[in-house]
Amino acid sequence: MALALDRSHSIAKPGFNRWLVPPAALCIHLCIGEAYAFSVFTKPMAQLIGVTAPAPGDWTVPQLGWIFSLAIAVLGLAAAFGGKWVEDVGPRMAMFVAAVFFSSGLIVASIGVSLHVLPLVYLGYGVLGGCGLGIGYISPVSTLIKWFPDRPGLATGTAIMGFGGGALIGAPLAVGLMRHFSSATSTGVAPTMAVMGVLYFIWMFVGSLIVRVPRDGWAPAGYVPPVASAKMITTKNVLREDALKTPQFYLLWVVLFCNVTAGIGVLGQASLMIQEMFAVTPIAAAGFVGLLSIFNMAGRIFWASTSDYIGRKMTYVIFFALGAVLYFSAPTFGHLHNIALFILAFAVILSMYGGGFATIPAYLRDLFGTVNVGAIHGVLLTAWSAAGVAGPVLVNYIREYQITHGVAKADAYSITMYIMAILLLVGLAANLAVRPVGEQHYLKEQPAT
Amino acid sequence: MDELEERSEAVSQDTLLLVLAWLFVGIPLAWGVADTIRNAAKLFS
Repeated sequence: MALALDRSHSIAKPGFNRWLVPPAALCIHLCIGEAYAFSVFTKPMAQLIGVTAPAPGDWTVPQLGWIFSLAIAVLGLAAAFGGKWVEDVGPRMAMFVAAVFFSSGLIVASIGVSLHVLPLVYLGYGVLGGCGLGIGYISPVSTLIKWFPDRPGLATGTAIMGFGGGALIGAPLAVGLMRHFSSATSTGVAPTMAVMGVLYFIWMFVGSLIVRVPRDGWAPAGYVPPVASAKMITTKNVLREDALKTPQFYLLWVVLFCNVTAGIGVLGQASLMIQEMFAVTPIAAAGFVGLLSIFNMAGRIFWASTSDYIGRKMTYVIFFALGAVLYFSAPTFGHLHNIALFILAFAVILSMYGGGFATIPAYLRDLFGTVNVGAIHGVLLTAWSAAGVAGPVLVNYIREYQITHGVAKADAYSITMYIMAILLLVGLAANLAVRPVGEQHYLKEQPAT
Repeated sequence: MDELEERSEAVSQDTLLLVLAWLFVGIPLAWGVADTIRNAAKLFS
């Protein structure tokens, strides 16, 4: 089994169609993206004993909030520490291991829910699931970049779009299954998680069967590697250890951190924000969240593909400059009660939030080459973990602070948005400071890829 | 079977696999997007 999963058994035969690799990657990302839909479990998990309403002994919402935070934190750690291993064993083994971790995480969480043991849910969904998230997220990235040297943004954008799209599948699937399994004595969470664990394992396993790596020296027909005129695209390679010694790596860390922090905080508060600012109904607010999810997903493929034409640096300049303008303008749209402009502004912001995730692997490839891009990407994802804490904390605490100091709820988001705009300007400065990597960091005697 | 026929058969199998692989991910994604759009429409109603 292990032999069939290793890199040597997944080398593509001559004539293999490289367009089979994006659906293989999507099999993984559409499944692990389910993590973004975790909130659909929150309410039913907070009333496992009371069933129709929380009862004494039921888990609280803050206790449950840690499950998602833990999963994202472990995602970053697993990607950082597992990146090199993923590069060594190849995508098939990595995808299979991700499938085992992610699905077993759901099943262990299901057992935890069934026995009403919260640490078991933390272990399952948070730790095991988080390992599956981290390994699964980076597993197809370097393979896609190697298959699509001519369109790396499009290739990684397609896969990472799947992570955004995973919630769009996971949320209605979970809701439908819970409806099916619920009864007068059960919310149906435990069997739902178990069924999803099995379904997602099958789906991810199929992805691991489809994926192939190109043989050494392969290039698409007619592909001409970038010439010296493309200063920000190297034809050389930097190892992960050496990449960590470059200022470029830390500048990109700041770039990703700022972009994610600005988006993730709003994503978590979007429903409450639009209800408090425009007095819309909770159902309409849920529609707003759904709309943002679609823009988050679509932005991943749109912006990453666009970056193939306008360059990664320029793409991030647009993210940060346009994002800052929109964040500065959003409170004004609120004061004018112009809900259409407000929705449009946040739709664009969320598209750039998704685009930031999807464009970063190609940016890394441009600067550090293809040899260790997956491992370098893995370490960079710690910026996501940090932003996953910083974003919600910034939004929530600033809002709470203002409300307790007498600011009206409808106005409590203004300061937050101005802070987000400033954060984006910090990201803009970091992005503008990115220069080609110094010659001393490049791998010696390594042929260009 | 000559070489040309073998190659033609391999290409058609590859195309079938390609279509199936994209349907395997495309159908669930389209379902999820459609469901989300249906819910998002409530924002404008």
